[in-house]
Amino acid sequence: MKKLLVLTLVIAALAVAGAAWAGPVQGVTDTEIKIGQWGPQTGPAALWGAVARGTGVYFDLLNAEGGINGRKIKYFLRDDGYNPNRTKAIAKELWEQEKIWGFACGVGTSPGMAVMPYIIKNNIPWVGMATGSPHWTQPLKKTIFGVYPLYPDEAQILTSYAIDTLGKKKIAFFYQNDDYGKGGLDGCLRELKKRGMKLAADVPVEVGETDLASHVMKLKKAGADAVIMWVYPKHAAIMLGTAAKLGYRPQWMACSTLSDVALMFKITKGLWKGMIFGNFAELPDSTSKLMLKYHRAQQKYAPKERWGVFFYAGFGFVEPMVEGIKRAGKDLSVDNFVKAMETLKDFQGIMGPITYSAERRQGIKQVFLAKCEPDIMMVKGKKITYGKGKRLSDWLKLD
Amino acid sequence: MDMKRDYYEDIRLLDSGPQVFWLIALIAALALFPFLAGSYHIYTVNLMAIHVIVALGLNLLVGYTGQISLGHAGFFAIGAYATLALMQNLGLPFLIALPLGGFISAGFGFLLGLPALRLEGPYLAIATLGFGLTITQILGRLDFLGGHMGLQSPALNIFGWTVDSDAGRYAVIMPICLFLAWGLRNLTKTRVGRAFVAIRDSDIAAECIGVNLTYYKTLAFAVSAFYTGIGGGLMAFVLGFISPHTFNIMVSIMFLAMVVVGGLGSVLGSVMGAVLITWLQLELARIGELPYLGPLLTELSKQVFTVSGLPNVQYVVFGLIMVLIIIFEPLGLYGFWIRTKIYWRTWPF
Repeated sequence: MKKLLVLTLVIAALAVAGAAWAGPVQGVTDTEIKIGQWGPQTGPAALWGAVARGTGVYFDLLNAEGGINGRKIKYFLRDDGYNPNRTKAIAKELWEQEKIWGFACGVGTSPGMAVMPYIIKNNIPWVGMATGSPHWTQPLKKTIFGVYPLYPDEAQILTSYAIDTLGKKKIAFFYQNDDYGKGGLDGCLRELKKRGMKLAADVPVEVGETDLASHVMKLKKAGADAVIMWVYPKHAAIMLGTAAKLGYRPQWMACSTLSDVALMFKITKGLWKGMIFGNFAELPDSTSKLMLKYHRAQQKYAPKERWGVFFYAGFGFVEPMVEGIKRAGKDLSVDNFVKAMETLKDFQGIMGPITYSAERRQGIKQVFLAKCEPDIMMVKGKKITYGKGKRLSDWLKLD
Repeated sequence: MDMKRDYYEDIRLLDSGPQVFWLIALIAALALFPFLAGSYHIYTVNLMAIHVIVALGLNLLVGYTGQISLGHAGFFAIGAYATLALMQNLGLPFLIALPLGGFISAGFGFLLGLPALRLEGPYLAIATLGFGLTITQILGRLDFLGGHMGLQSPALNIFGWTVDSDAGRYAVIMPICLFLAWGLRNLTKTRVGRAFVAIRDSDIAAECIGVNLTYYKTLAFAVSAFYTGIGGGLMAFVLGFISPHTFNIMVSIMFLAMVVVGGLGSVLGSVMGAVLITWLQLELARIGELPYLGPLLTELSKQVFTVSGLPNVQYVVFGLIMVLIIIFEPLGLYGFWIRTKIYWRTWPF
């Protein structure tokens, strides 16, 4: 009898010890969580690298507030120069050498595609990639959570706004001839088909092209009264300049990747005025409590940064990840984190409402529209005209 | 010191007994390596081995034949895409697709070699630069090769063995690398190799003694492109994904840097250059994590440079190392190695 008691006690003790031990989770201690991100700080896409630096400032802010559940975030930012083989090296290095817990954001579809198989294979949490490609979440991958609204959805919303609210009859689509541009085109076609309408013209542009006169002529000839753009900032600027020269003035509309309105206004020398564009995050002059708080953090931790949408998007893209970590509590095993993420329902930070579930990994399905209206500000006694977004709608959703 | 007494001494692969010993020691160490190192380190060495293959090919062109190329990322891309396309679209096994990819790349090398007959120096550099840029543009527009979105590599199968770990890929890449290095060393010891060197030193004199310039110059381009194409085919599997972005202009420049920093016209130089530059590229990315120096540099870059901070320092240090090597050791790492060897020869007297 005594033997049996001892045996039971030993087993019980082992069970308790086992539960308490519960397998250490890589990258997490009682006081620290290691999170990594890649992003182009040099090279052709360096402008978007602001996302990764924004995330860094957000983590500084969280750490100053005491961290998440008592754990401070140790953040690793690596420059991949938008080159997928460096992204792959970074992912391996951070996971195998630095032993991080998970990845945040990451700019660029092809850098992300290069590491996705690795992330799936090693069961690593990855939240908020800064691109609207459907590859991340369709089909569903257990540990990968998208935030950015999908390009087709956004194009559909823009198209229906042009028809219903602006009363436009002939819609044309100007897009970059790759996955990004074609994603937008698909959405536009879907919406038109639903209404039994036809696209007035679809005009693709290649990444390397610089002369867009023939593209403008095509749009003009088709008589399009609204043109939706799904291109890089450079092409948007050349397009507007060429169209102005050739006397073509439709209602221009643009994807949320072109929503850095102050920047676009500056590089188009004011032609951005009147542009209607999609937005995945609050406008820079938003007075919501969170935006003001984040803006103060930027002024404190990174005073040299410009308060543009891609910088604070670095805050917004990781908000759901932080919320998930908070809800997961002390046990940050991947399974527990995924379970916690799946409880997010209409979670709202500075972006659209985010919902995840066991069947859904695409966080945001809504965008709001804004219009560029110039405003004047005083800088060192001089009047400067700058591009400002005026909100046209609430968060819009596909029915 | 290097007195050659007869022809056979000039053409044999290894010059001395100690060289044979060290070669065997190196092969033994390489064979043991995957059992001792972690996955990330094996991955790093895989990258190094691929870059060694490319640097060998480029050195044949630049160092041995005296032609320049700023477009080797183009051959790298052709090799990678051709290997994947042959496997996915035609269902060929890897061991056939890889050399075929190399030969397709060699074909393009031959074509690029034709204009090179009339071009020299900076003009050739521009022509090859244009080639490298054109290839990625074209690849970006071919939908059956994935366009700008790139291609995922299929599973790597060799005689029913599925290679899905870094150590497995090491077992595939390292023998190929050693074989190609042996092949290049062998080539430079033959009639063909000597013809290349003659063209480098003076193409007019070479033609006078009967070297067919058209044949040997295009051959040099083709062989160089073959090596680079094989490297590209292997790279596709190490990365698991390729897209036109993977083969940008910086890649071509890095290849050239490997050859110049390592030492022109030397097999050992190519190896040292490729290893050093691959290592620097990976390690300098972590410069911010160095104790004491890291935070200091971060702060410095934030104050002095643009907001993106640290990557600037990384490139400054990278450039500085390359400039210093070229200034103080124009023969590259290989020259440094030779001098070290001579210095220690009579030690301790």
